[in-house]
Amino acid sequence: MPESIAAIPFIILAAATLLGAAMVVLTRNVVHAAFWVLEVMMAVAGLFMLLSAGFLALVQVMVYAGAVTVLLIFTVMLTLRDREDAIRSRDLSWAAGGIALATLVAAGTAIVSFAPPIPKLPAVTPGVAEFGRLLFSGWALPFEIASVILLIALVGAVWWSGGER
Amino acid sequence: MSYVVLIPLLPALAFAVMVVMSNRIRNSALWVSIGAMAGSLALSLYAFTRVWPGGEEPVWSSTFALADIGGKPLEIGMRLDGISAIMLLVVTIVGLCVQVYSLGYMHKDRRKGWYFAVLSLFSAAMLMLVLAGDFLLLYMSWEIMGLCSFLLIGFWHEQAGPRAAAIKAFLTTRVGDVGFAIGLAVMWATAHTFSIHEVSVFEWARYPAAALAVALLLFFGAMGKSAQVPLHVWLPDAMAGPTPASALIHAATMVAAGVYLVIRAMPIFEEASAAGLHTVMIIGVTTALVGGLLAVVQYDIKKILAYSTISQLGFMFVALGTGNTVAALFHLVTHAFFKSLLFLGAGVIIHATHTQDIREMGGLRKAMPWTTGVFTVGALALAGLPGLSGFFSKDEILVSILHVEGDLYSMGVRWLLIGLMLFAAGLTAFYMTRLWIRVFGDNACSLAHEGHLNMLVPMVVLASITVVIGWTQPVFMQFLGEHGAWPDPLMAGLSVAVFAVGVGGGYLIYGRQLLDRDKLRGRFYRLYGALKNGFYFDWTYNGFIVRPFFIVAEWLSTFDAQRIDGAVNGVASGWSRLSDTMWVGDVKIIDGAVNGLGRLVTRSGARMRKLQGGRVQSYQRLAYAGLIAILVVIALAAWLTNVVVPMLRGA
Amino acid sequence: MTVGPSAFMALAALLFCIGLFGALSKKSAVMVLMCLELMTNGVNLNLVAISRFVTPESLAGQFTAAFIMVVAAAEIGLGLALVLALYRRTRTIELDRLDELKG
Repeated sequence: MPESIAAIPFIILAAATLLGAAMVVLTRNVVHAAFWVLEVMMAVAGLFMLLSAGFLALVQVMVYAGAVTVLLIFTVMLTLRDREDAIRSRDLSWAAGGIALATLVAAGTAIVSFAPPIPKLPAVTPGVAEFGRLLFSGWALPFEIASVILLIALVGAVWWSGGER
Repeated sequence: MSYVVLIPLLPALAFAVMVVMSNRIRNSALWVSIGAMAGSLALSLYAFTRVWPGGEEPVWSSTFALADIGGKPLEIGMRLDGISAIMLLVVTIVGLCVQVYSLGYMHKDRRKGWYFAVLSLFSAAMLMLVLAGDFLLLYMSWEIMGLCSFLLIGFWHEQAGPRAAAIKAFLTTRVGDVGFAIGLAVMWATAHTFSIHEVSVFEWARYPAAALAVALLLFFGAMGKSAQVPLHVWLPDAMAGPTPASALIHAATMVAAGVYLVIRAMPIFEEASAAGLHTVMIIGVTTALVGGLLAVVQYDIKKILAYSTISQLGFMFVALGTGNTVAALFHLVTHAFFKSLLFLGAGVIIHATHTQDIREMGGLRKAMPWTTGVFTVGALALAGLPGLSGFFSKDEILVSILHVEGDLYSMGVRWLLIGLMLFAAGLTAFYMTRLWIRVFGDNACSLAHEGHLNMLVPMVVLASITVVIGWTQPVFMQFLGEHGAWPDPLMAGLSVAVFAVGVGGGYLIYGRQLLDRDKLRGRFYRLYGALKNGFYFDWTYNGFIVRPFFIVAEWLSTFDAQRIDGAVNGVASGWSRLSDTMWVGDVKIIDGAVNGLGRLVTRSGARMRKLQGGRVQSYQRLAYAGLIAILVVIALAAWLTNVVVPMLRGA
Repeated sequence: MTVGPSAFMALAALLFCIGLFGALSKKSAVMVLMCLELMTNGVNLNLVAISRFVTPESLAGQFTAAFIMVVAAAEIGLGLALVLALYRRTRTIELDRLDELKG
């Protein structure tokens, strides 16, 4: 495992993330916002790679960038009556801003006071194989429950989309 | 020797039995009382034989421990010695005579049963008093006798006179009783005993102040019971009761209890400072004179005898003032017999003439020969005819004055006192002569009839004793541990002279009418007025004690009616005004508050309702704001604990 | 400059707060869901970073992040289905207009 993370990739990816997130909130076009979400997801995946979480980066791309964003675009399309409706007001609120700022301050203080001990990094980076091994041994129960959750979600989604009965 | 206990117990049981009966049954159960009295008499005679030949030591005593006071046991007990044996005889003989006499006197009375019952209770108390071995039991019996006196004086309580007289008697003697009680307290505090024997051997000389206090306080109690000046005012009024009761209680026994008390307490007097005995002497002399003087101006036959009793009791206390208990007791005994005899005689006379005023009587010697005879015996004994009992006992008192010891008693003082006492004796002779002439003398034709047999026989008995008992003087004195002696010739001579002067003067003034009494009364109107009003004792008490008392009571009653009732009513009206105010307050304020609260809730609800916009975003923002708030609180707490407190502690 | 855990955590915090800002201010239901996704990503990033820097062997953070992704997927599926159902019924996805719960 590398002792430290390379700075430059981090900075690029971080900037990409934050830019994308800002654009999601600031853009007036709903469809554009959806695409900016896609951008953010990809950037985060890159960050995962930087953190030696390969498998997670893959899952991020597949699930978020793939499924979630697609679904978002689908819904946007389905709820737009015509092209013009995609543009809407910016919908920004001072109250929300205040709350977000307060949260940021709180988080900031927490981060500042958080001083983790410097661990001894393992010689070999735990890879997908290790991930898989642990997934089906230590984390087996959550895995099974996760399956059930997905099942429920699937059934629920189907039912709700069922239209007129 | 437990038969002694029966002597007071029999009359007590008679009372207990009679008190629970209904009036009708009781009126037929008079024999219970008489039987008990007779039994006590028999036992007293037996006791007397056991005590013979007498002496100073008790023949029998017994004590009973009641409780512990501060470590010392409180005992009460009985004691039979020479003095008590003699007193037993006096009380039982006079008592039985009176009870038999009462069968006739009270024959027609509706409540005679109750009368006999109270007589029994009284007898029990008096007998217990003379058998008491300690002052505490004596005091208890003393109080019971006070109660019986009250009940008997007020026997005819339907009339106002007896009622008032009973209250007056009780209250006046009560004043003395308070002194008695305090004296007992001081006695216990000093000697830690009430026992007569222990008191007599106690070293009172070590506590002169206490001894004098006890002596004077006990004497104060005696003053009340024995009607000494100034507590004598109740005795003339006590004549409102039935005459035989007066004979027993107010002539022979109860009034003698004070003398008996001082006799028993003489050891204290002897060791206390001489001031104690001096006080007794002075009071005695004063009483003897006051009683005699006031008797001269009375028209009520019973009142004459009452004042005479007061005077004679004064004589007894004079004897005690010289320290001579034997002389005092001797006079007590002789006086008991002839005075009760005189009262019983007066009763017969009143019964027969239906009046008590001697001005309405006259010539009874022809109509009631037996009564005249016995009454004359008593009158002569009282006046001091040589040979009759009164002569002997009075003489003894004069002799004891002559031989009294003490710094104060120079020859001059002694002869002064003797002179005063002789004057009192002369007065006695004088007013008795007056009485005799007004009642028995004259030639007025009287329709009176002689008394019944059951009234005459007791009188004859008493008269007989009166005649004989004087001659027992030496034996009497020896019985009590004194050297037996006959009357001193000098004193005897003086007494006879005084007797003659008194009788003669009475005869001349009342028999021969040599003096214009009206003119005398006119010239000495002030003196006469003072005498008629009993030297204004009653007037003083009434003015300074009784009337102020009633004034205060009246004031308190008005105060109660006006102020207190007013206050109560005021509180009530204030309360109703308060509740009116509160009702208004309730309507405006409380209802207003309630309504206001309701309006407040409605308005704030209307405002708060805006929170429930139904809009998701507002809900979210609120939720997050709450979360931030919680985080802030936690952070603040953590910061305070981990940063500020150590900082403060460090500083 | 070394890139330590603080940098990643700060980034995650920023991402999260931007998403929070959007989620609380946007009036379109779909927009809100998008911003929710941003928030979730921020959380995931935080977890993975800490896992990498604090407990590298156990991969606990990664697993947690993985399962959060599962839940997020389920959530977005259901959420969008809900929005479509709502659109069908009320012809709008403006959150301001959806105030039938107004008290």
